[in-house]
Amino acid sequence: MGHKDIKKYILHCSLFMMACFLCLFGYIVYLQVIAAPSLAANPMNRRGNAALDITRGAILDINGRELAKSSQPGERSYPYGEIMAPVTGYLGETIGSDGIESVAGNDLTGQSQQLQMLGPIGQAMQSTQGNNVKLTVDADIQQLAYEALGNHRGAVLVMNAETGAIIAMVSKPTVDPTDVESNWKSLTAREDSPLLNRATQGLYPPGSTIKVLIADAALDEKVTDLNEKFNCNGKLQIGNEYIGESHGAVHGNNLILKDALTESCNVTFGTLAMRMHGKGLESAFDRFGFTTPINSEFNESKCHLPKFSSLGDGDTAQVGIGQGETLVTPLRMAMLASAYVNHGKIMVPYLVEEVISPVGLVIRKASPSKWMDVTSEKRANIIGGFMENVVTNGTGGAAAVSGVRVIGKTGTAENSQGADHGWFIGAAELPKGKIAFCIIVENSGGGGTVAAPIARQIITALKDR
Amino acid sequence: MKTKSLLLVAVDFLIMFAGLGIIMLNQYPNIDYSPMPWALGAAVMGIVIQLFLVKGRYSSDIWVFPMVLFFSSLGIIMLARLKPILCVPQLRWLMIGMVVMLGVLYFSRQLKNMMQYQYILGICTLVVLCLSLLFGVEIGGSKNWLVLGPISVQPSEFGKILLVLFLAAFLSDHGEMLNAAKRKFLFLDLPPIRFIAPLLVIWGIAILMFVVQRDLGSALLFFCMAVFMTYMGTGSKSYVFIAMLFFGLGAAVSYAFFSHVQVRFNIWLDPWADPAGQAYQVVQSLFAFAAGGVWGTGFTHGHPGLIPEVHTDFIFSAVAEELGLLGCTVIMMVYVMLFYRGIMIAMNCKKELHTLVAAGFSIALFTQAFIIIAGVTKFLPLTGITLPFISYGGSSMVSGFIMIGLLLSLSKKEKVHGA
Repeated sequence: MGHKDIKKYILHCSLFMMACFLCLFGYIVYLQVIAAPSLAANPMNRRGNAALDITRGAILDINGRELAKSSQPGERSYPYGEIMAPVTGYLGETIGSDGIESVAGNDLTGQSQQLQMLGPIGQAMQSTQGNNVKLTVDADIQQLAYEALGNHRGAVLVMNAETGAIIAMVSKPTVDPTDVESNWKSLTAREDSPLLNRATQGLYPPGSTIKVLIADAALDEKVTDLNEKFNCNGKLQIGNEYIGESHGAVHGNNLILKDALTESCNVTFGTLAMRMHGKGLESAFDRFGFTTPINSEFNESKCHLPKFSSLGDGDTAQVGIGQGETLVTPLRMAMLASAYVNHGKIMVPYLVEEVISPVGLVIRKASPSKWMDVTSEKRANIIGGFMENVVTNGTGGAAAVSGVRVIGKTGTAENSQGADHGWFIGAAELPKGKIAFCIIVENSGGGGTVAAPIARQIITALKDR
Repeated sequence: MKTKSLLLVAVDFLIMFAGLGIIMLNQYPNIDYSPMPWALGAAVMGIVIQLFLVKGRYSSDIWVFPMVLFFSSLGIIMLARLKPILCVPQLRWLMIGMVVMLGVLYFSRQLKNMMQYQYILGICTLVVLCLSLLFGVEIGGSKNWLVLGPISVQPSEFGKILLVLFLAAFLSDHGEMLNAAKRKFLFLDLPPIRFIAPLLVIWGIAILMFVVQRDLGSALLFFCMAVFMTYMGTGSKSYVFIAMLFFGLGAAVSYAFFSHVQVRFNIWLDPWADPAGQAYQVVQSLFAFAAGGVWGTGFTHGHPGLIPEVHTDFIFSAVAEELGLLGCTVIMMVYVMLFYRGIMIAMNCKKELHTLVAAGFSIALFTQAFIIIAGVTKFLPLTGITLPFISYGGSSMVSGFIMIGLLLSLSKKEKVHGA
């Protein structure tokens, strides 16, 4: 054991530490070069919005009205306040951002990936005025839907069925975006979650509105046909459990599929779901995109579907009437309805119509694109016809507007929080295009009485535009 | 050649004044000139000390000091940008550090003699570490501070120096015995327990620091130092194995029983499980690295302020954001060069004891840099510890300069007397 040996061992240790350091350096190169773009795009990353020396661009509605504006760096006002909050989102140095403020943050601050890649040189080329972002939303319709919800909690989503453009996205309760940062603690603690955009993030049992999908699936799986006569005695017995009809109704024994949807017959749809088994239901939810994320401008919650393969008969029947574990967002239900006026296609929903530079140049314009084919054109017409019957002869009568073809489906979702949630999903063929909508009013009771009239107001307002 | 090293010192202070200048221009028209006199004082001191080092009376190395000044200058401009109120204190600590270093150089002969008193050193190490274990006050989540009137000291920073000195003295004296008196046990060569006892005590204290003080960074550093020193002194792989076993056991037990250890480890495994809560700091640090990219956003153009406590443990993330991969590369390269110079000094020492001390300090500084850089990049679980000479902290600065002073004094060519 001499001095020489010690030097040898020192060399070992040094080489070991150098190797560790080299690995660390390699990892930092990976972090700053390869992983950087995805980290920069992470929604938790507030750096895009933290650009304090830049005057943010305005957020405009489809008619050019200002929904958010800044006159100087760091200042931001929201003329529509809480009404537009689910659309614009909020912004704060310490709280990050949400909504369009977050999604279009780079556009609003005029930053681009290319400029950021240039580092310090990019800083020199950075404009001090961000771009304006023009949305597809119509402030009038938004306001109307917001007021129509009254004192109820809930959400309204209206979209153009042929393009996917969102016309209104209402969520209640909300708070004025200007107040969010100062009240952050109390807002995030509030039991009624005012910062949750219920239209895209609210998860609700779909109730009877899901019967549209079940009818489509049953025809697709060929477990029934258009002429089969169902027998409803008011009760569907499954082992020890049973599914009943609402208000103790009995729909009789002469019920074809069309009538069953019109009357929203639980016995029929529970039966159909059981005939399809978990597998048929799973492929139906897949086909309508409930398991596919929308890769776009929405911070949406993932719909919650049961593990179909392990469901017993009773739970399978519950899926057929939209109860049990199934939880969906209003956005997804509006998209489902849109397929029935759009040849069985669902378009990619979008909010940003144009990005306009400070000098008025259109930098980017939205181009509507198909999201997926969810059903055949023929079946879309059949089910669409059934849904029309719901409005003309069934539970959705309150949504009827003379001179306009309106289709729809009501829903009443039992839930653990108290009175039932009222749903109305549907679509309308207006002179200037087809719209699809979804309305949910929390704890309001039946969808036909509270939600459907809101649809009527929206259709009437849009009809004359 | 010797005068060229002065040029390096000049470059260091050029960096400092350029950085401070940029910050002042940003403040226009309300410019805060207060750091300037201190910065000038530090610059004059730095140049005078380098001139003194070049003379070679107490030291033969002229490259280590400019590298340390490079780190300090960078640290000061980052502080001036991140936490302006700490800029002047840090400059003050830098000057105190340089004075302390001069003192160490001046008394180097006496200090070298004292290095041989292994048991006194051992007791000192124990006392210093136990002080913080017993009287530690919690500041910033770690209970490793001693409050002495107006100043707070982190004893572990100085314990680190004593630990290296003690282990070097112990091992250079007992290395032979530790290696000779082996017993076979399975595939391990075990020495008698009385030789290994001091090492066990050190490891035990490291684990205690881990658990009682929540000072994971120092604990890890202490443990690594004990293992490195033992290996360098004996070359025995059995010790390394036992140490790893010890470490693994200690880590598993503390993971099982202490929530703060679990939290740290879980954050490391998956920071995206709770990016807004417990993993907030690490996630924000990763975003800083991403924002920096290759070129960086440019000095003062980033947003490192989004990372909590960025001016101490996370200062490297701020550098990564504003100076980019280029800045990171330069800093890491200079750490490597500092390490290389330190090891070269160790290799040229005539006495085993001095070789071990020099190598110990070099590895201690290098490992410390590694641990914290790896922590803020999520390469390893985060353990709070300062980045040597760059992070804010008086204890860290002064203890760093003591190590550099001793390292420099050991570089002085000397005649062998005794063995």
